Amino acid sequence: MLITGDMKMADVIHLNHHLLHMINRFGIQLGFGDRTVNEVCQHYDVHADFFLQLVNTFHDPSYFPLNELQNFPPGVLVDYLHKTHQFYLEVKIPEIEELIAQLETLSGIDIDHIKLLEDFFRQYKQELTSHINKEEQRVYPYVKALENALFTQNPDMSNCDNCREYSIQQYEDDHDDVESKLFDLKNIIIKYMPAPKDSRMFNIILHELFELEKDLNNHGHIEDLILVPMVERMEKEINQLRAGNTVM
Amino acid sequence: MGRITILLIEPSFLIREGIKTLISQSGKPFNMEESETTIVNLSKLLQKTKPHIVMANPVLLTDISFPRETNDDLSQIQYVALIHGQIEPKVQGRFNFMLPLNADKPTLIKKIEEIYEACSIKNQEKESATLSERESTILKYVALGLTNNDIAERLFISSHTVMTHRKNITRKLGIKTISGLTVYAILNKLIKVEELQGTQ
Ligand SMILES: [Fe+2]
Ligand SMILES: [Fe+2]
Repeated sequence: MLITGDMKMADVIHLNHHLLHMINRFGIQLGFGDRTVNEVCQHYDVHADFFLQLVNTFHDPSYFPLNELQNFPPGVLVDYLHKTHQFYLEVKIPEIEELIAQLETLSGIDIDHIKLLEDFFRQYKQELTSHINKEEQRVYPYVKALENALFTQNPDMSNCDNCREYSIQQYEDDHDDVESKLFDLKNIIIKYMPAPKDSRMFNIILHELFELEKDLNNHGHIEDLILVPMVERMEKEINQLRAGNTVM
Repeated sequence: MGRITILLIEPSFLIREGIKTLISQSGKPFNMEESETTIVNLSKLLQKTKPHIVMANPVLLTDISFPRETNDDLSQIQYVALIHGQIEPKVQGRFNFMLPLNADKPTLIKKIEEIYEACSIKNQEKESATLSERESTILKYVALGLTNNDIAERLFISSHTVMTHRKNITRKLGIKTISGLTVYAILNKLIKVEELQGTQ
């Protein structure tokens, strides 16, 4: 079921409470009363079309936003992706790290096994961090420079060091997935780790891993299906602008 | 498959130690469980130790029936008689293998290998999600950081074959990444943490 602007925000949450994290990332907090999605977005100064596209990609992974619907500024998208990165690195990953460290205090658990989990998760954190850094340092400045160039109608992007000879095609080609290790970690805990007497802590960690995996999936989906086509269109416009300039 | 558990039922300390040495020299992934005394409740002991193989002095099990008719894991157990001298044909018929204690070392090792093979095949049929011996070896090399080419060279197979094995390992275990496979290998004692030092 497609989420639309005239639905009540409270009903949207009842429909899919997993959206709460995402909604918080827009700065939107609970206490919606009977306000609609459009009204809540207006109240928080959030671009409603953009908001709807994102919640729909999350709510229904088969949802594919049509190009003509993408009438929001690229900077808004980049800001959202950036906030999501922050949420992973500053909130979610430390939270899970802390939960894994707490396992050491459980009785009847082999400390060496917990060390294995900690090591594995540390490696994962490094992998995720370098993936994110690449995007933050390479891709986002490029998108912002493109946006600025189009806004000022000046295709000269020489003040952006990383932009020369870069195209979003490169990003598309080596945008690797960051979920494989999480998938493995889940299976290691579900299938292979000798369980402690009371597996509640394991359950909590598993729940967190499932949630993070879902969130990361959606994040990658947004990058591939919304960001990349958007930047491709901007590159075309820039090339037209350049062609136009040389003719003159 | 993973490790194979042997339940050893034999009153003589010297023979038990001898069997353990033999088993460890065979180089197969065996686990040992020992029992030195007469067995009162075999089913209970089997439930507790869950062996794949029972090696026993047949005299101790003379009047005890083996739980073969049950359809759980215990019906898959291979029984090995440790034979000191003469053995009655009636007793012999109850065991899957005979291990003559006065045989020479190569014969004994060969016998152990034969028992191991029989055991792995039996357990594989039942549980296709467990790794074959070849797959375990490859998994071990992967965990130690060897490339497909390295592994192919060591095992004298093509790197294409290594890839096929790796795909099967991933499918069977539900683990995709090298670091995930490494954790699996350590948890299942295919490698030790110390062996990893300097490989990563
Ligand atoms: Fe990202
Ligand atoms: Fe990404």
